[in-house]
Amino acid sequence: MDSKKLGLWHSAIVGSAGFIFFVGLWEVVVRLGFIDPFFLPAPSQVMERALAMTTGKDAVLLNDIRMSGTRVLTGFLLSAVVGVPLGLIMGTSRLVRAFLNPIVSIIRPLPALSWIPLSMLWLGIDEQQKYAIVFMGCFASVLVYTIDATLKVDPLLILAARNLGAKRLHTLRFIVLPGALPNILSGLKVVLAIAWTCVISAEMVGANSGLGFRIWTAKEWSDTGQVLVGMLCISLTVLVLDIIYRVIEKVLLPWKRMS
Amino acid sequence: MSDILIRADNVSKVFHSHKEDVEAIHDFSLTVKKGEIVCIVGASGCGKSTFLNMVAGFIQPSSGRILLEGQEITKVEPRCGMIFQNYALFPWMTVIENITFGPRLKGVQKKVRHEQAKQWIKRVGLKGFDYSYPGELSGGMQQRVALTRALANEPDVLLCDEPFGALDAMTRQAMQQELLRLMYKSNQTILFITHSIDEALILSDRVVIMSARPGRVKAVFENDLPRPRKLELQLTDRYLELKRKVWSLVEEEVVSALGIRKG
Repeated sequence: MDSKKLGLWHSAIVGSAGFIFFVGLWEVVVRLGFIDPFFLPAPSQVMERALAMTTGKDAVLLNDIRMSGTRVLTGFLLSAVVGVPLGLIMGTSRLVRAFLNPIVSIIRPLPALSWIPLSMLWLGIDEQQKYAIVFMGCFASVLVYTIDATLKVDPLLILAARNLGAKRLHTLRFIVLPGALPNILSGLKVVLAIAWTCVISAEMVGANSGLGFRIWTAKEWSDTGQVLVGMLCISLTVLVLDIIYRVIEKVLLPWKRMS
Repeated sequence: MSDILIRADNVSKVFHSHKEDVEAIHDFSLTVKKGEIVCIVGASGCGKSTFLNMVAGFIQPSSGRILLEGQEITKVEPRCGMIFQNYALFPWMTVIENITFGPRLKGVQKKVRHEQAKQWIKRVGLKGFDYSYPGELSGGMQQRVALTRALANEPDVLLCDEPFGALDAMTRQAMQQELLRLMYKSNQTILFITHSIDEALILSDRVVIMSARPGRVKAVFENDLPRPRKLELQLTDRYLELKRKVWSLVEEEVVSALGIRKG
């Protein structure tokens, strides 16, 4: 326990040292004139730009993060709410699986970007269109991950449950769902990353807020600092979501905690 | 009605694969009386697990039929509680949730079923582990939970598919004693499958010896060793005599299953 804690501190210190080293190197290289700040501004300049974007009259950054975050989470949660139950049913019923498989196989390879023209035609460039893009980009993956997770549940446990008197719905609720949950959650984590790709693409094509929009307009004005601020914000938001996700996993999978 | 609980009439089972048809069991008949402990002994691959799976209703016979109190078993039968070799505990449920799973499905009130479960937990020496997950327990403890889970569901017959096979030799003997202690004078019917002659002699009222595949009844005999049976029993003359008798019957089958010619 103690040596494990020590190891954690150790890697945290080494990690920070590595971070400081690379950021410092970047700063120095730009300051000494080896790199033109137009192509790559120094970290201090990026921070300055970030500060300008979060305070004062041009404070758009927090709103962008909020907009993109909302779009990602809404589309992602919608796809999970529809995809996970449907995936469980498809995973447990061979009939339903056979019936829906062709449609899923056709939808699944379509990149989210390819839905942009249709979604704009149908929904304009409202928020709904962003949600739809994220949803279409995530849904098939959620479905496939859930079906896979369901099929991986130990059939012996299903037999054991039926032997104890479980009917079909009992088995689904008490055995298949909890048994598949660890794999569903790790699948959803991958899907969450997909959702970010979808939203940034959608915002670059047609939006007037959000991190994707901010990066794209910065490029039009050759504001490299703002491009970097936007990219950094994506990283940070994903990192924060990752931490939250891990907490949720721990709460939902208490039996996995001891291993 | 009669005191016969399980009756298998001329049961055969053929498994079809794309290569060939394999007959696991051929013309197998057996009756188990209420309150009786019957051990089926056979070499590996003789179809004894297949038979047990048919009694549980997991699979159906190709021909013949199996009756539980006169009714044919055609689907998974909760009155035949199964204990699996790999425990088959639900990893996401605590010990007490595993044990109360059957009663919970039956609609027994939470307070009642928890009280009953606590009694069981105490009896099998798992006190203090009520809220542990199976993954935190040793193999022997997990099998005690599995045993308790099956018994808490009050089955008419307890089906045991080599339940102690995955345990080390010492834990295994301790578990046999545990089972005898729990079942002593309980009148619980048990159908127990094993490849261990010692296990069969320690536990059973009657021993059924199966032939190599396809499995048939090779011999049946009453086990009249006195109860309660302690480990010292294994040193008595009568025990050794019975063991010799069983081994002479089983040996042929093991040899034939291995495809060795006797020299």
